[in-house]
Amino acid sequence: MSSILEGEMWLHLFEMLCVIIVVAYFISRTKAFFNVHEGKGTVIEKSFLILLFGSLSIFGTLSGFEILGAPVNIRDLGPLVAGITCGPVVGGAAGIIGAVHRLSMGGFTCIPCSLATAISGFAGGTIYILNKRKMLTVYKAVLFAALFECFHLILVLCINTNIDTAVSIVMQVGGPVVFFNALGMFIFAKIAENHLEEIRTSRERDRYKDELERKRAELKIASEIQQQFLPKDIPPITGYDLAALSLPAREIGGDFYDIIPFGNQNHGLVIADVSGKSVPAALFMALSKITVRSTAVWHQGTAGTMYDANDLITHESDSGMFVTVFYGILDRMGERMIYTNAGHNPPIIFRKKEEQFETLHQNGMALGVMAGSEYGQDEVFLHPLDIIVFYTDGVTEAINQDEEQFGVERLKKVIRISKDMRSQQIIEQIQGAMQTFCKEEPQFDDITIMILKAEGDDEK
Amino acid sequence: MKIEKEEIDGAVIVSITGRIDTSGSSEVSDALKTVIESGMKKIIINFSHVEYISSSGLRVFISALKQLKGTDGSLILCELKPFVYEVFDLAGFTRIFVICDTVAEAQKT
Repeated sequence: MSSILEGEMWLHLFEMLCVIIVVAYFISRTKAFFNVHEGKGTVIEKSFLILLFGSLSIFGTLSGFEILGAPVNIRDLGPLVAGITCGPVVGGAAGIIGAVHRLSMGGFTCIPCSLATAISGFAGGTIYILNKRKMLTVYKAVLFAALFECFHLILVLCINTNIDTAVSIVMQVGGPVVFFNALGMFIFAKIAENHLEEIRTSRERDRYKDELERKRAELKIASEIQQQFLPKDIPPITGYDLAALSLPAREIGGDFYDIIPFGNQNHGLVIADVSGKSVPAALFMALSKITVRSTAVWHQGTAGTMYDANDLITHESDSGMFVTVFYGILDRMGERMIYTNAGHNPPIIFRKKEEQFETLHQNGMALGVMAGSEYGQDEVFLHPLDIIVFYTDGVTEAINQDEEQFGVERLKKVIRISKDMRSQQIIEQIQGAMQTFCKEEPQFDDITIMILKAEGDDEK
Repeated sequence: MKIEKEEIDGAVIVSITGRIDTSGSSEVSDALKTVIESGMKKIIINFSHVEYISSSGLRVFISALKQLKGTDGSLILCELKPFVYEVFDLAGFTRIFVICDTVAEAQKT
């Protein structure tokens, strides 16, 4: 290398690099660059980039330093980058700007150098299209720039008026030209690649966020619809104090309760738990609730209702889903309840007089498993101030941080303590005891409680 | 959760270790699906190392039973701990499953 290069090269090089870094940073952060890169750019955005990259090409010429009348320069860099990131239109036009400017300067290598710059943008654009309109990896981009500069040097050797001068120029400036352009490409590609990746990630995040937002909104609507499936008010039942609560673990759940008024002043009481949680359980819950309610109308007893409901639900369930249902009919005389327990958690009765607990065991299988299953029907007599607690396993299987279950015994303890309260208050007591027990542990399963208290003689 | 499969005399013995809760049940479900799809007619489930089963766990076995019924296969549950038996019993499912005390007894059926 000549002494001219040795002395001033580094300063020149440093200046050039600073300009490239600033321009790369600026261009890659424009919205136009991203849009055009993604193939969605408008004419204005493309024109803007053509001017920027064309100017960069002119800067490449002006910032060069002369050796034997041939400037070492990075004129091709702008069009090359424009080509591989924004396609042949932007690349090609930027190249032509640089080429026309170079042509106007004249000199020994005027023709081959202008021609090379004019070609550079199209070459980059071809690579962009061949690479399916994606950016090359940084190292491939660098290799491409280096190869293109070699091609540029070959053009100088081919098109000249004096082959000896051409050879000596190529010998002297060839190395630095290839090196600087490749280095410039490295800087540009690295900055652009990082930024394009950032934008892509953030767009993906936004899309994901939107989708999540939409799903949340849908679930909220589903939750509202499901709330309407539960009785809006508990109808007053002569001789009884009835209250209920249902809390799904997620937005929607598989538990439900129902109070079915019959014309003869009898009332049907239903509590049910669909296996599973969330959307599948909620859909199955809707099916089950409507089926039980509509079959209940056709039967005097509970066993017939469960038999028919089971057949209907089994017919609709292929996935192994099932629903446990406790269905009781309260006599209007207010003392007797007939019931069928289709695989549901046995409701607990607290006998006021004896201060003892009884349970209402299953006398049939959960619904939805096997058509033609037989269902039993039993009866239970209620005395003044007796309490029946109907619940789903979300209550007894609620766990605390040590994975201990709330359990039936704790539930019984709360009932015993709150035996003199109204049904609604007893539910609040159970809820409070569960919260104290579970503390920070999130609710894992749907929770449903229904409490029926026979009123005392003085209240009747 | 650990699931081991062993084939003896034309029956597959599936031994499960762990809690069959919501997350465990999908593993069991996949394992049973593989066995059923392989065409095995007799499946014996060994529950001796299962301490807990939830209602979603029950669903897996109901689903397997339904699939096997369609192909004349059989599903036998054995060595159920009292708590696990109670969960099956509460839902009324002890009446549709063949339940044996030991694996040896299940093999004879």
